[in-house]
Amino acid sequence: MLISLVRKDLLIVKKYLLLMFIFAIVGPIFISSELKFLNGSFIGFLITVLFLEYIIFNSVSMAEDKYKGSALLCTTPYTRDAVVRAKYLFVLVIFIISLITYTLTASVTPLGLERLNITNVGISLLTLSFFFGVLIPVQFKFGYEKTKMFFFFVVFLTPFIFPTIVQWLQSHNLEMSIMLPLPHIIQVCLLYLISLLITFISMLLSKQIYAKKNL
Amino acid sequence: MMDTILEVSDLSKSFANFNLNHVNFSLKEGCITGFIGINGSGKTTTIKTILGLILKDTGSITFLGKELADHERELKNRIGVVLDDGYFYEEMTLKEMKSVIAPAYTNWDDAIFQSYMNKFKLQVNQKISTLSKGMRMKYAIALALSHHADLLIMDEPTSGLDPLVRSELMDILLDFMKEEGKSVFFSTHITSDLDRIADMLILIDKGNILFNEEKDQLLETHAIVKGDTRLLNEQTRKLFLTLRETTYGFEGITHDIHIVRQHMKDVVIEKPTIEQIMLAHIGGHQHVN
Repeated sequence: MLISLVRKDLLIVKKYLLLMFIFAIVGPIFISSELKFLNGSFIGFLITVLFLEYIIFNSVSMAEDKYKGSALLCTTPYTRDAVVRAKYLFVLVIFIISLITYTLTASVTPLGLERLNITNVGISLLTLSFFFGVLIPVQFKFGYEKTKMFFFFVVFLTPFIFPTIVQWLQSHNLEMSIMLPLPHIIQVCLLYLISLLITFISMLLSKQIYAKKNL
Repeated sequence: MMDTILEVSDLSKSFANFNLNHVNFSLKEGCITGFIGINGSGKTTTIKTILGLILKDTGSITFLGKELADHERELKNRIGVVLDDGYFYEEMTLKEMKSVIAPAYTNWDDAIFQSYMNKFKLQVNQKISTLSKGMRMKYAIALALSHHADLLIMDEPTSGLDPLVRSELMDILLDFMKEEGKSVFFSTHITSDLDRIADMLILIDKGNILFNEEKDQLLETHAIVKGDTRLLNEQTRKLFLTLRETTYGFEGITHDIHIVRQHMKDVVIEKPTIEQIMLAHIGGHQHVN
């Protein structure tokens, strides 16, 4: 059932999918070539995936806002809960596709893209969990129209802010292992656990908001 | 005695400018029930509340004896829905939209869907945005009836349709009703649609149910009465829902034709339309009081 709803979102944005796929390949290559510091490939992937997810997610939200299709779905055995859960699954599916695309690109092209390690993937998931963990419930609460400008600026500022933060951390020789005196594997697990926790709390919040909404 | 398929009890919902006030009615199995009322009377709000799209403040909605909100997935499998605006993703093709809706139902029957598509001459690869209003309504019906629904709920399905398509829709509904145990509940402000097919009529006005009766019973008890104004007195005036008086005589609608016949001789009695009965009840013409 959830898969059908994810498929629905993919059908809504089908005309942008090829373009987004090209962006998923070219984005990390271009951004990492502009960033001349350590982990440029990872930052390239993270910024690309954030932009890509945001554009695709918002295109779906725009269509939902325009056609009110969710109202029809809620008259069927698809429940409001399923509609909410499918939104989170959709973000995860796009992330997995982006990750596979990046990994294949890094393996195939001789352009110096580094393959992502488990920590990089964890940080990417954590960033997305945090961003969409806020965006999804806020959008369910206030609607696409009222929230689009705010999140647009947040995403738009990311390429400027994120590399600066990473550079600052690197220049001050700060790493997570210094900040947290825990074994590396625990730290990696923590990344995934915190992502899961944020997503879970956000989903509960979204479900509560959407359950009280008149469609 | 026919079984109750859907029961709405004490349903209330408050908005800033509109209230549904303790709405009570039930739908009988094997019946086409027309839900009538003027624009803004509360038809869509009631239907959306039944379907859980608008959250009720109080009340209960049971379908086949079970509370709809508590058994949503199970019970919605047995309800087909056609909404006024369609609520389709316009950029999708008919086939794509079907592929979104079909997996929701455990008993979706693709053969039935295909037969409706053929019957309505709909092309599966056509974009929904290119459909005419009539074709869109037929597509919505094809989606709503392809999972063996027991109850078809339609919100203003005839609104904006030409008389030919409206007539076709009535035939589709009669066809659906041929199967045992099926029921239809549809709202409309075009009451002429109901003359031919409705068994029961529910009138809503300003969020209040004014009547819930058999159509034939309504048509038997209501009448247009015309006569000399000298026949009107304090007693006889009370027999009318609406009354218009001129120097030449009076014309009114009564809901108690038998009493009128007893007390008012030399009057002309005509059969009213459903629309005239509806307007009389909501005070669409000059009211007695």
